[in-house]
Amino acid sequence: MISLTERYLAAALRSIPDAQRADVDRELRSSIADAVEDRVAAGEERASAEKAVLEGLGEPTRLASGYTGRPLYVIGPDVFLVYRHILATLVGVIVPIVAVVLTTVALAGGAGYLDGLMAGIGGAFSTGVHLAFWVTLTFVFLERAEVARGARTEMVAATGRWTVDRLPSRPAGRISVGETVGEVLTTLLSIGGLLFLRDTAWFTDAAAARIAVLDPALSVFWVPALITVLMALAGLRIVVYLVGRWTMPLAVSHAALQVAIAAPLVALALGGSLIDPRFAAQLGRPELARGDGPVMLILARA
Amino acid sequence: MGLDELLGSHRQELRRGTVVLACLLALRETGYGYGLLKTLESAGIPSDANTIYPLLRRLEERGLLTSEWNTDESRPRKFYRTSATGSALAAQLIIDMDDLSASLHALNGGTTR
Repeated sequence: MISLTERYLAAALRSIPDAQRADVDRELRSSIADAVEDRVAAGEERASAEKAVLEGLGEPTRLASGYTGRPLYVIGPDVFLVYRHILATLVGVIVPIVAVVLTTVALAGGAGYLDGLMAGIGGAFSTGVHLAFWVTLTFVFLERAEVARGARTEMVAATGRWTVDRLPSRPAGRISVGETVGEVLTTLLSIGGLLFLRDTAWFTDAAAARIAVLDPALSVFWVPALITVLMALAGLRIVVYLVGRWTMPLAVSHAALQVAIAAPLVALALGGSLIDPRFAAQLGRPELARGDGPVMLILARA
Repeated sequence: MGLDELLGSHRQELRRGTVVLACLLALRETGYGYGLLKTLESAGIPSDANTIYPLLRRLEERGLLTSEWNTDESRPRKFYRTSATGSALAAQLIIDMDDLSASLHALNGGTTR
Protein backbone atom coordinates (compact mmCIF):
# COMPACT_ATOMS: atom_id res chain seq x y z
CA MET A 1 0.00 0.00 0.00
CA ILE A 2 1.21 3.49 -0.84
CA SER A 3 2.01 5.37 2.36
CA LEU A 4 0.12 8.47 3.39
CA THR A 5 3.30 10.50 3.00
CA GLU A 6 3.70 9.38 -0.61
CA ARG A 7 0.13 10.30 -1.36
CA TYR A 8 0.55 13.65 0.36
CA LEU A 9 3.74 14.43 -1.56
CA ALA A 10 2.13 13.47 -4.86
CA ALA A 11 -0.78 15.79 -4.18
CA ALA A 12 1.41 18.68 -3.06
CA LEU A 13 4.05 18.39 -5.76
CA ARG A 14 1.67 18.14 -8.67
CA SER A 15 1.41 21.90 -9.11
CA ILE A 16 5.06 22.68 -8.40
CA PRO A 17 7.06 23.58 -11.52
CA ASP A 18 9.40 20.86 -12.83
CA ALA A 19 12.49 22.92 -12.08
CA GLN A 20 11.80 22.93 -8.35
CA ARG A 21 9.89 19.72 -7.94
CA ALA A 22 12.69 17.29 -7.19
CA ASP A 23 14.25 19.64 -4.66
CA VAL A 24 10.97 20.42 -2.87
CA ASP A 25 10.13 16.71 -2.91
CA ARG A 26 13.39 15.79 -1.24
CA GLU A 27 13.19 18.55 1.33
CA LEU A 28 9.54 17.99 2.25
CA ARG A 29 10.21 14.28 2.53
CA SER A 30 13.03 14.82 5.01
CA SER A 31 11.04 17.43 6.96
CA ILE A 32 8.09 15.06 7.28
CA ALA A 33 10.39 12.22 8.32
CA ASP A 34 12.07 14.47 10.93
CA ALA A 35 8.74 15.43 12.42
CA VAL A 36 7.47 11.84 12.47
CA GLU A 37 10.68 10.56 14.08
CA ASP A 38 10.40 13.23 16.72
CA ARG A 39 6.90 12.13 17.63
CA VAL A 40 7.84 8.43 17.56
CA ALA A 41 10.78 9.16 19.86
CA ALA A 42 8.31 10.78 22.23
CA GLY A 43 6.41 7.49 22.39
CA GLU A 44 3.75 7.98 19.73
CA GLU A 45 2.81 5.20 17.37
CA ARG A 46 4.28 5.64 13.88
CA ALA A 47 0.98 5.53 12.00
CA SER A 48 -0.73 8.14 14.15
CA ALA A 49 2.44 10.27 14.17
CA GLU A 50 2.50 10.32 10.36
CA LYS A 51 -1.16 11.21 10.23
CA ALA A 52 -0.71 14.04 12.73
CA VAL A 53 2.32 15.49 10.91
CA LEU A 54 0.58 15.50 7.53
CA GLU A 55 -2.56 17.03 8.97
CA GLY A 56 -0.36 19.65 10.61
CA LEU A 57 1.01 20.54 7.16
CA GLY A 58 -2.55 21.00 5.98
CA GLU A 59 -4.16 20.83 2.57
CA PRO A 60 -1.44 19.85 0.07
CA THR A 61 -2.53 22.29 -2.64
CA ARG A 62 -2.42 25.11 -0.10
CA LEU A 63 1.11 24.16 0.86
CA ALA A 64 2.03 24.01 -2.82
CA SER A 65 0.67 27.51 -3.41
CA GLY A 66 3.04 28.69 -0.69
CA TYR A 67 5.93 27.35 -2.78
CA THR A 68 4.73 28.58 -6.15
CA GLY A 69 3.32 31.90 -4.98
CA ARG A 70 0.27 31.12 -7.09
CA PRO A 71 -2.75 32.81 -5.55
CA LEU A 72 -5.56 30.89 -3.88
CA TYR A 73 -8.17 33.29 -5.21
CA VAL A 74 -9.69 33.85 -8.61
CA ILE A 75 -9.33 37.62 -8.80
CA GLY A 76 -7.22 39.34 -6.19
CA PRO A 77 -7.46 42.72 -4.48
CA ASP A 78 -5.03 44.38 -6.93
CA VAL A 79 -7.33 44.05 -9.89
CA PHE A 80 -10.70 43.48 -8.26
CA LEU A 81 -11.88 47.10 -8.33
CA VAL A 82 -10.90 47.54 -11.97
CA TYR A 83 -12.62 44.25 -12.76
CA ARG A 84 -15.82 45.30 -11.04
CA HIS A 85 -15.80 48.70 -12.72
CA ILE A 86 -15.25 47.32 -16.21
CA LEU A 87 -17.84 44.58 -15.74
CA ALA A 88 -20.46 46.99 -14.40
CA THR A 89 -19.81 49.48 -17.19
CA LEU A 90 -19.95 46.90 -19.98
CA VAL A 91 -23.04 45.17 -18.64
CA GLY A 92 -24.74 48.49 -17.88
CA VAL A 93 -24.13 49.83 -21.39
CA ILE A 94 -24.25 46.83 -23.68
CA VAL A 95 -27.08 44.78 -22.16
CA PRO A 96 -29.76 47.49 -22.49
CA ILE A 97 -28.62 48.26 -26.04
CA VAL A 98 -28.90 44.59 -26.97
CA ALA A 99 -32.32 44.38 -25.37
CA VAL A 100 -33.59 47.38 -27.34
CA VAL A 101 -32.03 46.30 -30.63
CA LEU A 102 -33.32 42.72 -30.42
CA THR A 103 -36.82 43.84 -29.44
CA THR A 104 -36.86 46.32 -32.31
CA VAL A 105 -35.63 43.77 -34.82
CA ALA A 106 -38.21 41.23 -33.66
CA LEU A 107 -41.03 43.77 -33.82
CA ALA A 108 -39.94 45.03 -37.23
CA GLY A 109 -39.91 41.43 -38.36
CA GLY A 110 -43.59 41.21 -37.51
CA ALA A 111 -43.41 39.56 -34.09
CA GLY A 112 -46.11 40.34 -31.52
CA TYR A 113 -45.09 42.81 -28.83
CA LEU A 114 -44.88 40.09 -26.19
CA ASP A 115 -42.65 37.93 -28.39
CA GLY A 116 -40.58 40.98 -29.20
CA LEU A 117 -40.13 41.75 -25.52
CA MET A 118 -39.20 38.15 -24.79
CA ALA A 119 -36.63 38.20 -27.61
CA GLY A 120 -35.13 41.34 -26.10
CA ILE A 121 -35.02 40.00 -22.55
CA GLY A 122 -33.65 36.61 -23.62
CA GLY A 123 -30.94 38.17 -25.75
CA ALA A 124 -30.02 40.67 -23.04
CA PHE A 125 -29.70 37.86 -20.50
CA SER A 126 -27.43 35.71 -22.61
CA THR A 127 -25.37 38.76 -23.56
CA GLY A 128 -24.97 39.57 -19.88
CA VAL A 129 -23.84 36.02 -19.12
CA HIS A 130 -21.35 36.09 -21.99
CA LEU A 131 -19.96 39.45 -20.96
CA ALA A 132 -19.56 38.37 -17.35
CA PHE A 133 -17.88 35.15 -18.42
CA TRP A 134 -15.35 36.66 -20.82
CA VAL A 135 -14.50 39.66 -18.69
CA THR A 136 -13.99 37.39 -15.68
CA LEU A 137 -11.88 34.98 -17.70
CA THR A 138 -9.70 37.84 -18.92
CA PHE A 139 -9.11 39.03 -15.38
CA VAL A 140 -8.40 35.54 -14.10
CA PHE A 141 -5.74 35.33 -16.80
CA LEU A 142 -4.44 38.77 -15.86
CA GLU A 143 -4.31 37.72 -12.21
CA ARG A 144 -2.33 34.53 -12.60
CA ALA A 145 -0.52 34.36 -15.93
CA GLU A 146 3.16 35.09 -15.59
CA VAL A 147 3.19 36.83 -18.98
CA ALA A 148 0.44 39.18 -17.80
CA ARG A 149 2.42 40.39 -14.82
CA GLY A 150 3.61 43.50 -16.70
CA ALA A 151 0.10 44.37 -17.84
CA ARG A 152 -1.18 43.89 -14.31
CA THR A 153 1.47 46.15 -12.80
CA GLU A 154 0.75 48.80 -15.42
CA MET A 155 -2.96 48.64 -14.82
CA VAL A 156 -2.55 48.86 -11.07
CA ALA A 157 -0.22 51.82 -11.54
CA ALA A 158 -2.61 53.56 -13.91
CA THR A 159 -5.69 52.99 -11.83
CA GLY A 160 -4.17 52.46 -8.44
CA ARG A 161 -3.25 55.93 -7.25
CA TRP A 162 -6.36 57.41 -5.89
CA THR A 163 -6.70 61.19 -5.77
CA VAL A 164 -9.54 63.40 -4.56
CA ASP A 165 -10.30 64.21 -8.21
CA ARG A 166 -11.93 60.81 -8.42
CA LEU A 167 -14.54 61.64 -5.83
CA PRO A 168 -18.05 61.68 -7.26
CA SER A 169 -18.88 65.33 -8.02
CA ARG A 170 -22.12 65.16 -6.08
CA PRO A 171 -22.60 63.06 -2.98
CA ALA A 172 -25.37 60.56 -3.54
CA GLY A 173 -27.35 62.27 -0.87
CA ARG A 174 -30.84 63.68 -0.70
CA ILE A 175 -33.00 63.99 -3.79
CA SER A 176 -33.19 67.72 -4.51
CA VAL A 177 -36.37 69.81 -4.66
CA GLY A 178 -35.52 70.95 -8.21
CA GLU A 179 -35.21 67.40 -9.42
CA THR A 180 -38.55 66.46 -7.88
CA VAL A 181 -40.35 69.52 -9.22
CA GLY A 182 -38.92 68.85 -12.67
CA GLU A 183 -40.09 65.25 -12.65
CA VAL A 184 -43.57 66.08 -11.38
CA LEU A 185 -43.93 68.85 -13.98
CA THR A 186 -42.88 66.48 -16.76
CA THR A 187 -45.49 63.98 -15.61
CA LEU A 188 -48.19 66.64 -15.45
CA LEU A 189 -47.20 67.80 -18.94
CA SER A 190 -47.64 64.22 -20.15
CA ILE A 191 -51.15 64.18 -18.71
CA GLY A 192 -51.86 67.52 -20.40
CA GLY A 193 -50.49 66.18 -23.65
CA LEU A 194 -52.68 63.10 -23.44
CA LEU A 195 -55.79 65.24 -22.87
CA PHE A 196 -54.73 67.55 -25.67
CA LEU A 197 -54.43 64.66 -28.09
CA ARG A 198 -57.78 63.29 -26.97
CA ASP A 199 -59.83 66.50 -26.89
CA THR A 200 -58.48 69.01 -29.32
CA ALA A 201 -60.35 68.84 -32.58
CA TRP A 202 -58.13 69.15 -35.60
CA PHE A 203 -60.74 68.41 -38.20
CA THR A 204 -64.49 68.23 -38.45
CA ASP A 205 -66.04 65.60 -40.66
CA ALA A 206 -69.19 65.71 -42.78
CA ALA A 207 -71.43 64.91 -39.82
CA ALA A 208 -69.80 67.78 -37.93
CA ALA A 209 -68.18 65.34 -35.53
CA ARG A 210 -64.95 66.65 -34.04
CA ILE A 211 -61.91 64.61 -34.86
CA ALA A 212 -59.01 64.46 -32.41
CA VAL A 213 -55.71 62.57 -32.71
CA LEU A 214 -56.49 59.71 -30.33
CA ASP A 215 -59.03 57.08 -31.16
CA PRO A 216 -62.23 58.02 -29.28
CA ALA A 217 -62.63 54.41 -28.14
CA LEU A 218 -59.70 55.00 -25.79
CA SER A 219 -61.56 57.65 -23.82
CA VAL A 220 -63.60 55.08 -21.97
CA PHE A 221 -60.81 53.14 -20.34
CA TRP A 222 -57.27 53.73 -21.56
CA VAL A 223 -56.96 57.49 -21.29
CA PRO A 224 -58.27 57.58 -17.70
CA ALA A 225 -56.11 54.55 -16.87
CA LEU A 226 -52.98 56.18 -18.28
CA ILE A 227 -53.74 59.41 -16.46
CA THR A 228 -54.17 57.48 -13.22
CA VAL A 229 -50.80 55.79 -13.70
CA LEU A 230 -49.16 59.12 -14.54
CA MET A 231 -50.63 60.64 -11.38
CA ALA A 232 -49.27 57.70 -9.42
CA LEU A 233 -45.86 58.32 -10.99
CA ALA A 234 -45.96 61.97 -9.93
CA GLY A 235 -47.02 60.89 -6.45
CA LEU A 236 -44.18 58.40 -6.30
CA ARG A 237 -41.68 61.16 -7.15
CA ILE A 238 -42.98 63.16 -4.20
CA VAL A 239 -42.69 60.12 -1.92
CA VAL A 240 -39.10 59.64 -3.11
CA TYR A 241 -38.40 63.26 -2.24
CA LEU A 242 -39.92 62.87 1.22
CA VAL A 243 -38.00 59.65 1.86
CA GLY A 244 -34.89 61.42 0.62
CA ARG A 245 -33.46 58.67 -1.54
CA TRP A 246 -34.35 55.75 -3.77
CA THR A 247 -35.08 52.59 -1.83
CA MET A 248 -35.51 49.22 -3.48
CA PRO A 249 -39.33 49.15 -3.13
CA LEU A 250 -39.55 52.69 -4.53
CA ALA A 251 -37.32 51.86 -7.47
CA VAL A 252 -39.32 48.72 -8.23
CA SER A 253 -42.60 50.64 -8.05
CA HIS A 254 -41.16 53.30 -10.34
CA ALA A 255 -40.11 50.71 -12.90
CA ALA A 256 -43.52 49.00 -12.69
CA LEU A 257 -45.33 52.30 -13.29
CA GLN A 258 -43.09 53.10 -16.27
CA VAL A 259 -43.94 49.72 -17.75
CA ALA A 260 -47.64 50.29 -16.99
CA ILE A 261 -47.45 53.39 -19.19
CA ALA A 262 -45.24 52.11 -21.97
CA ALA A 263 -46.72 48.65 -22.42
CA PRO A 264 -50.35 49.71 -23.16
CA LEU A 265 -49.17 52.46 -25.50
CA VAL A 266 -47.02 50.03 -27.47
CA ALA A 267 -49.75 47.39 -27.45
CA LEU A 268 -52.42 49.86 -28.62
CA ALA A 269 -50.11 51.29 -31.26
CA LEU A 270 -49.30 47.89 -32.69
CA GLY A 271 -52.95 46.91 -32.52
CA GLY A 272 -53.73 49.92 -34.68
CA SER A 273 -56.15 51.31 -32.12
CA LEU A 274 -54.20 54.29 -30.84
CA ILE A 275 -54.85 56.91 -33.49
CA ASP A 276 -58.27 57.74 -34.86
CA PRO A 277 -58.35 56.42 -38.45
CA ARG A 278 -60.50 59.40 -39.40
CA PHE A 279 -57.77 61.72 -38.22
CA ALA A 280 -55.23 59.89 -40.32
CA ALA A 281 -57.60 59.93 -43.30
CA GLN A 282 -58.21 63.65 -42.96
CA LEU A 283 -54.49 64.17 -42.80
CA GLY A 284 -54.23 62.26 -46.07
CA ARG A 285 -51.98 59.64 -44.45
CA PRO A 286 -54.30 56.73 -43.53
CA GLU A 287 -51.30 54.46 -42.88
CA LEU A 288 -50.57 56.51 -39.74
CA ALA A 289 -53.40 54.81 -37.90
CA ARG A 290 -52.47 51.27 -38.90
CA GLY A 291 -50.71 48.95 -36.47
CA ASP A 292 -47.82 48.46 -38.90
CA GLY A 293 -47.73 52.13 -39.90
CA PRO A 294 -44.50 54.07 -39.56
CA VAL A 295 -45.53 56.08 -36.48
CA MET A 296 -46.64 52.98 -34.64
CA LEU A 297 -43.42 51.15 -35.34
CA ILE A 298 -41.33 54.10 -34.22
CA LEU A 299 -43.41 54.43 -31.06
CA ALA A 300 -43.16 50.72 -30.38
CA ARG A 301 -39.40 50.86 -30.76
CA ALA A 302 -39.09 53.80 -28.41
CA MET B 1 -16.32 36.61 18.60
CA GLY B 2 -15.10 36.05 22.13
CA LEU B 3 -12.07 37.72 23.67
CA ASP B 4 -9.96 34.58 23.34
CA GLU B 5 -10.77 34.31 19.68
CA LEU B 6 -10.01 38.00 19.09
CA LEU B 7 -6.74 37.71 20.97
CA GLY B 8 -5.82 34.67 18.92
CA SER B 9 -6.44 36.31 15.58
CA HIS B 10 -4.61 39.52 16.53
CA ARG B 11 -1.68 37.59 17.89
CA GLN B 12 -1.46 35.73 14.64
CA GLU B 13 -1.49 39.05 12.83
CA LEU B 14 1.35 40.37 15.02
CA ARG B 15 3.43 37.24 14.52
CA ARG B 16 2.93 37.19 10.79
CA GLY B 17 4.97 40.35 10.51
CA THR B 18 7.85 38.97 12.55
CA VAL B 19 8.25 35.46 11.19
CA VAL B 20 10.74 36.55 8.50
CA LEU B 21 12.85 38.34 11.08
CA ALA B 22 12.73 35.32 13.38
CA CYS B 23 13.93 33.01 10.58
CA LEU B 24 16.75 35.34 9.54
CA LEU B 25 17.92 35.64 13.14
CA ALA B 26 17.64 31.95 13.92
CA LEU B 27 19.45 30.89 10.75
CA ARG B 28 22.57 32.87 11.48
CA GLU B 29 23.43 29.42 12.75
CA THR B 30 22.94 26.85 10.00
CA GLY B 31 19.70 24.94 10.31
CA TYR B 32 17.21 22.79 8.41
CA GLY B 33 13.43 22.97 8.09
CA TYR B 34 12.19 20.89 10.98
CA GLY B 35 15.09 21.92 13.21
CA LEU B 36 14.23 25.58 12.63
CA LEU B 37 10.63 24.91 13.66
CA LYS B 38 11.89 23.43 16.93
CA THR B 39 14.33 26.31 17.47
CA LEU B 40 11.58 28.88 16.96
CA GLU B 41 9.22 26.96 19.22
CA SER B 42 11.68 26.77 22.06
CA ALA B 43 12.47 30.46 21.56
CA GLY B 44 8.79 31.20 22.21
CA ILE B 45 7.88 31.90 18.57
CA PRO B 46 5.82 28.88 17.56
CA SER B 47 5.19 28.82 13.80
CA ASP B 48 3.39 26.55 11.39
CA ALA B 49 5.38 24.14 9.27
CA ASN B 50 3.37 25.05 6.21
CA THR B 51 4.35 28.70 6.67
CA ILE B 52 8.02 28.14 7.38
CA TYR B 53 8.90 25.59 4.68
CA PRO B 54 7.75 27.67 1.70
CA LEU B 55 9.09 30.82 3.37
CA LEU B 56 12.61 29.38 3.51
CA ARG B 57 12.54 28.96 -0.25
CA ARG B 58 11.26 32.46 -0.90
CA LEU B 59 13.92 33.96 1.36
CA GLU B 60 16.52 31.94 -0.51
CA GLU B 61 15.21 33.18 -3.86
CA ARG B 62 15.59 36.74 -2.61
CA GLY B 63 19.16 36.06 -1.58
CA LEU B 64 18.52 36.44 2.14
CA LEU B 65 19.38 32.79 2.84
CA THR B 66 21.85 30.41 1.27
CA SER B 67 21.27 26.70 1.19
CA GLU B 68 23.23 23.50 0.91
CA TRP B 69 22.26 19.86 0.91
CA ASN B 70 23.96 17.74 3.52
CA THR B 71 23.94 14.10 2.48
CA ASP B 72 26.52 12.86 4.97
CA GLU B 73 23.94 11.57 7.41
CA SER B 74 21.40 8.82 6.87
CA ARG B 75 18.68 11.39 6.07
CA PRO B 76 19.70 14.07 3.56
CA ARG B 77 18.69 17.53 4.75
CA LYS B 78 18.69 20.93 3.15
CA PHE B 79 20.54 23.35 5.39
CA TYR B 80 19.95 27.06 5.30
CA ARG B 81 22.06 29.93 6.52
CA THR B 82 21.36 33.63 6.64
CA SER B 83 23.39 35.45 3.97
CA ALA B 84 25.27 38.72 4.51
CA THR B 85 22.35 40.59 2.95
CA GLY B 86 19.97 38.65 5.19
CA SER B 87 21.97 39.55 8.28
CA ALA B 88 22.04 43.23 7.34
CA LEU B 89 18.29 43.17 6.75
CA ALA B 90 17.68 41.40 10.06
CA ALA B 91 19.85 43.92 11.91
CA GLN B 92 17.79 46.78 10.52
CA LEU B 93 14.47 45.01 11.13
CA ILE B 94 15.28 44.29 14.76
CA ILE B 95 16.10 47.98 15.31
CA ASP B 96 12.73 48.83 13.74
CA MET B 97 11.10 46.25 15.97
CA ASP B 98 12.64 47.81 19.07
CA ASP B 99 11.59 51.29 17.95
CA LEU B 100 8.08 50.06 17.35
CA SER B 101 7.99 48.41 20.72
CA ALA B 102 9.31 51.59 22.40
CA SER B 103 6.70 53.68 20.58
CA LEU B 104 3.93 51.38 21.68
CA HIS B 105 5.12 51.52 25.26
CA ALA B 106 5.24 55.30 25.07
CA LEU B 107 1.66 55.27 23.83
CA ASN B 108 0.84 52.99 26.71
CA GLY B 109 1.86 55.77 29.12
CA GLY B 110 5.55 55.03 29.59
CA THR B 111 5.08 51.75 31.41
CA THR B 112 6.82 48.71 30.07
CA ARG B 113 3.97 46.37 30.92
